Amino acid sequence: MAANRSQGSYYTLFLGAATVLCAGIFLWSGAMGKLLFLIGAAGIAGSLYGMFRIKSLEGRTALKPSPLVMKLIGAGASLLGWVITLFGMHLTPSVTGRLVLALVGIGVSLFGIIVILPAAFNKNAVWKS
Amino acid sequence: MKTFRNLFLCFVVLALALAVGVAVYAQVPASAAAPPAAAPAPSPSTAELATAASKAPTTNDLAKGDPGGSITGTVNDVPVSDSKTGLTLGDTANQVGQNKIAINFVWTLVTGYLVMFMQAGFAMVESGLTRVKNANHTYMMNFFVYTVGLFSYWLIGFAIQQGGSAGNSNLGGLNSLSIEHTTAIFGKMWGIFGGTGFFLSGHPYDVGVMVLFLFEMVFMDTALTIVTGACAERWKFLAFAVSSSIMGALTYPLYANWAWGGGWLSQLGSNNQLGHGYCDFAGSGVVHAVGGITALAVSMIVGPRIGKFNRDGSSNPIIGHDVSAVLIGCFILAFGWFGFNPGSTLGASANGNLRIGTIAVDTMLAGCTGTLGALLYMWMKNGKVDYSMSGNGLLAGLVAITAPSGFVSTVGACIIGLIAGVLVCLSCSFIENVMKVDDPVGAISVHGTCGLWGVLSVGLLADGTSNYGGSWNGVNGSVTGLFYGDASQLVAQLVGISTLIGFVFTFSFLMNLAIEFFVGQRVSVETEVAGLDLPEMGQLGYPEFVLKPEPDVLLHAEKQYALA
Repeated sequence: MAANRSQGSYYTLFLGAATVLCAGIFLWSGAMGKLLFLIGAAGIAGSLYGMFRIKSLEGRTALKPSPLVMKLIGAGASLLGWVITLFGMHLTPSVTGRLVLALVGIGVSLFGIIVILPAAFNKNAVWKS
Repeated sequence: MKTFRNLFLCFVVLALALAVGVAVYAQVPASAAAPPAAAPAPSPSTAELATAASKAPTTNDLAKGDPGGSITGTVNDVPVSDSKTGLTLGDTANQVGQNKIAINFVWTLVTGYLVMFMQAGFAMVESGLTRVKNANHTYMMNFFVYTVGLFSYWLIGFAIQQGGSAGNSNLGGLNSLSIEHTTAIFGKMWGIFGGTGFFLSGHPYDVGVMVLFLFEMVFMDTALTIVTGACAERWKFLAFAVSSSIMGALTYPLYANWAWGGGWLSQLGSNNQLGHGYCDFAGSGVVHAVGGITALAVSMIVGPRIGKFNRDGSSNPIIGHDVSAVLIGCFILAFGWFGFNPGSTLGASANGNLRIGTIAVDTMLAGCTGTLGALLYMWMKNGKVDYSMSGNGLLAGLVAITAPSGFVSTVGACIIGLIAGVLVCLSCSFIENVMKVDDPVGAISVHGTCGLWGVLSVGLLADGTSNYGGSWNGVNGSVTGLFYGDASQLVAQLVGISTLIGFVFTFSFLMNLAIEFFVGQRVSVETEVAGLDLPEMGQLGYPEFVLKPEPDVLLHAEKQYALA
């Protein structure tokens, strides 16, 4: 299935609901703001549900399922590196110490992105078959 | 004896008081001490203004024309607040202040228009580097990303990014952008996101805020359009639209707030004594690395194009269809960069803004050495000059100089550009051959890798000569890198890099994984083989062209998928 009317309709709903949701945040201090926020959130959920419903009509893509856990581990490693860098700023006041910890953090993040995630996505890559 | 001593002390005190009184009296202007006159004489400045007004050209003089431009724009053009009093010093001072703000408004708006025109350059580069059968789809992604990005940014993105950025004297103070949500960590307050500016309504309905919005919006759109290049030729238009909406509303504004909107990265200097905090003058990190890193996350999820990789993991080149579009697009981008970097002063008048000359030359030189680096590297490596890598070399140099352009010398700019030019070639090869990520236009390397290099280079090569009003990010003095004596600035830059690859990547990855679940990121095999123009757009990019069959290796792969 290529682009179609349903896609256009659900995306229009998505944008409209996002507008209402943002209006809700803008007017959050009043009751109307909270109401708009809820309506907007419901609209976004509805649009995503609609997109999910027509997703299967797209047909087969040139992708094979890859292990979700490994993807999440890769993303987690990337995030962990950032956390190491942040805490490094508070562990030591010395510039050298902070420099080393920042580099360690960057290294951990890169390991997640360059090593773990490609391994996850390429494990069952369609071009391998 | 005691009485005599007391009398002596009283005399001394009185003498001192008299001496102080005389000294103070001597400091008071004679006019203040004089009794008020019935009709005060005009002060020297008022008299000078009156003299200047009397010497100003008359209407008759101006009616004769002014071919030399010497009598146009005189004291007669300064507005007078009270016609009875005539021109006063206060009127003149107000006009000087408004002139400063007007110069800065015009400068920021015009440079913003230049950056907006970069969208055309991106569209041409990306479409030129893809195949004819996907030209309409690629152009349309570049076209629509402007609209969807602008809309999302107006709704909420600008408020998150700049909602707490009051205090910019270049644009009149921006005092209505006054809410920055903060959190206390380890006893220090850190900015997380802004809270005013939704729909540009309420107090931010302000002339200065509008100028800032226009300028920041076109920057945000630059980041969004980077992703469309990396995912070209297989990204479903609906998924692209949803993903770009989220990026314009959340991903980009959040990081931009941390760096430019008074957020925690900019506070690393004042809170943690790390140089001047994270310094990213025009956005190597905020714009380009955010775009490039998000492009990496989405291209991993979307997967490589059919036929890009062979069974043994080796890759096949998939040649773009229009070299002229690519190289003209690169020139348009280089032209727009003169808005991107010098415009980031947000003004041309006061606060050290005359450094715009150095910034523009730095930009020009880094683009030059970036091209040299890439072109010569490919020529020496492959024996041929590669047009796509030469163009990418130009862009790599420009991307890399974006963060340091306000802080480095011309020699520093040349070094930064040259390294970026070689780096982009190495990075393209690494991402394609080692990570097996398919990036049709090299956007991840140009904007992601070289964006990170640009951020790092501030911490190395900032020469400590810039002075934007005496301080940067609330820390007095000039931004100075490791090679000029401040190692702590390098640490601040590394924290920014870690945030980009640790937080921004993960956030983008998880968001787009959710889009993959709900929407599906990739078009079907049939659509991809046929080309995205007809199935997704309903119209061929070049309807009167006779398409040549794909090269054998791609044709074979496509047939396999179509039959399977």
